[in-house]
Amino acid sequence: MQRRSLFRRTFDRPMTSMEKYLLAIILVYIVIVAVKNPQFFSLETLFDMIRNGSGIMILALGVLVVLISGGIDVSFTAIAIVSGYTSVRLMKVLGFDNLLFVILVAVVIGAVLGSINALLIHFFRLPTLIVTLGTASAFHGLMAIALGTKTYTAIDVPQSMLDFGSSSLLTISAERSQYSLSVFFLIVLACIVLTWFLLYRTMLGRMVFAIGSNEESASRIGISLLRTKLFVYCYSGFLSGLMGIIYFSGLSYINPVSLIGTELMIIAAVVIGGAKLTGGEGTILGAVLGIIIVQLFQSTLVFLGLGASWNNLFFGSVLMVSLGIMYYRQRQLNKRSLVFSSN
Amino acid sequence: MITKRRLITGMVVAFATVAMATGCSSVGDVGGGAPAAAAGGSEGAFRIATVSKVEGITWFQRMSEGVTMFNDDNSDTVEAWQTGPDTGDSAKQVAIVEDLIAQGVDAIIVVPNDPLGIAPTLKKARDQGIIVGTTEAAALVGTDAIDFDIEAFDNVAFGEGFAKGLAEAMGGKGDYVGSVGSLTSESHMTWFTSAVAYLEKNHPDMHLVADQPYENDNDDAKSRASAQEIVNAYPDLGGFLATTPSGGSGMASVLKEKNITDIANVSLSLPSVSGPDLDAGWMSYAQTWDPAGWGYALNAVALAMLNGETVATGDDLGYDGYNSVTVDGQLILGNATMELRKGEPAAPYAF
Repeated sequence: MQRRSLFRRTFDRPMTSMEKYLLAIILVYIVIVAVKNPQFFSLETLFDMIRNGSGIMILALGVLVVLISGGIDVSFTAIAIVSGYTSVRLMKVLGFDNLLFVILVAVVIGAVLGSINALLIHFFRLPTLIVTLGTASAFHGLMAIALGTKTYTAIDVPQSMLDFGSSSLLTISAERSQYSLSVFFLIVLACIVLTWFLLYRTMLGRMVFAIGSNEESASRIGISLLRTKLFVYCYSGFLSGLMGIIYFSGLSYINPVSLIGTELMIIAAVVIGGAKLTGGEGTILGAVLGIIIVQLFQSTLVFLGLGASWNNLFFGSVLMVSLGIMYYRQRQLNKRSLVFSSN
Repeated sequence: MITKRRLITGMVVAFATVAMATGCSSVGDVGGGAPAAAAGGSEGAFRIATVSKVEGITWFQRMSEGVTMFNDDNSDTVEAWQTGPDTGDSAKQVAIVEDLIAQGVDAIIVVPNDPLGIAPTLKKARDQGIIVGTTEAAALVGTDAIDFDIEAFDNVAFGEGFAKGLAEAMGGKGDYVGSVGSLTSESHMTWFTSAVAYLEKNHPDMHLVADQPYENDNDDAKSRASAQEIVNAYPDLGGFLATTPSGGSGMASVLKEKNITDIANVSLSLPSVSGPDLDAGWMSYAQTWDPAGWGYALNAVALAMLNGETVATGDDLGYDGYNSVTVDGQLILGNATMELRKGEPAAPYAF
């Protein structure tokens, strides 16, 4: 009987080559930084990185589902800001302060905006990139016209959100300071498990893979394209709405013109993780590793004593090399199995 | 063929959607130079238009309050109002100035997004006899694009102000690092280098531990993440100097989270942003200037010039920080540095 590795027992599949490659980059990079600056290798750094990366990790899960379904969504940062900001404003107008309410309203608005994307994409048969490019501007423009773009500093941020941003699962006191594992970590874990369950343990998830691989054949075997797309974009909107509240709470500062413009970096991170732009392929672990790489590069420049431009150089190089390897291997494989397709 | 047509339809729809979201407001801004009151204004009054970098943000809203105050104080001789592009875009600013020239205003005040880019348009205005005043445009001083330029303070002195605040908070000793919006921002770098030069000269026990300042892009999330990393990377850090409001509030938020009380946090900030952090002790000292003063003082000089008067060193332009200006050719220097400390109420300053 063949012995199964810990990985296989947990994930019930072998590790993809992309995941191995990313894991190796991460480990090598951590060793380099730790050698250069021993301060880096600490629990405190890890906790801080988890806190800072949790928002984009949640967004990345939505991006992954959309990519698997064969689409590209660039409106998710706009949806995060619009639903988060609208929800906070609504709560302020109603004059009370409740975290559950603000999250609930944000995820509902996020899901509704996502469903608008899905309906436009489905009924007008439009390319997803173009639809979401349009709706991103339209959603944010509508919010700016209807609500304005006033920023809220810590005094005006609802107390429940401030508490949420600073609540922790575990606080460790060091000699000079204290550091803590943010409650965001739990939320990210929950989102990962939920996404895993939806993608791999439900019919809906299989349908998402099916329409991503080939929409025509998926539709011929009786999969409802509308229903599947509604799910994909509503789920992405739902995660974006949740992220909006986490983002504002974590910063204890509400700025409705922030975040937008970072979407391509997050999409790139998920693509590094092995999700195909042409749909049908992608793993949660890959997306998680992709985001870890982004986060790692972003938050080690001070330790390495490098300027912010190095981050772009690192990230760009990893992106190009990863995609180069991924598509080269695919072509080799295709050649061997005599498949002559464009992707 | 069908897919091609679909793609074109898609692009048309998308562009129409984008245009709907952005189009209306920008057209309105370019066309809406003069307020409704301008048509029925008093006969023979001078018409002075102030063009901001971007409308709709707190900073320039506060500037427009200064313009309005000036308008109210001189309502019998002046009609003054502020306009500006809906995004910080140099081309839109040029379009607004062109429009104001066509309207035949008497004076134009501009806070340029790109001083050298807008210079030819300003020159055109001057050729038609319009008085042109700028601020944050030291690059135009000595050219024929402007009549005068007001700077709120001397940038070197402003930088030294940060240094003094930092030295006081650190007790004159310890390690510190800096953070600027970007390494290419001229004013930020001048503030930072003059602060460092001052500390090297006057406080030999204070050490800059990273020669180059870190960049925070004036972005809230980046500033916070960078502050967190700085605190972890320098366990003996005693001070932090930021030249953007987000830099200081990011550090304040990290110090609060980690409950660190022995790092002095000094920053450029706004009263509304830094007030709570200063009061709670997560920020030691902040510096700013009141943009309403810009609005008031720039209009005051324009009016004086329209009346055929000149402004000389020692003159009072009628607003705090500009009570005794220094004049050097086209350059008028104020002394408008505003110091923000714990316990000093931020309430009167609504910005």
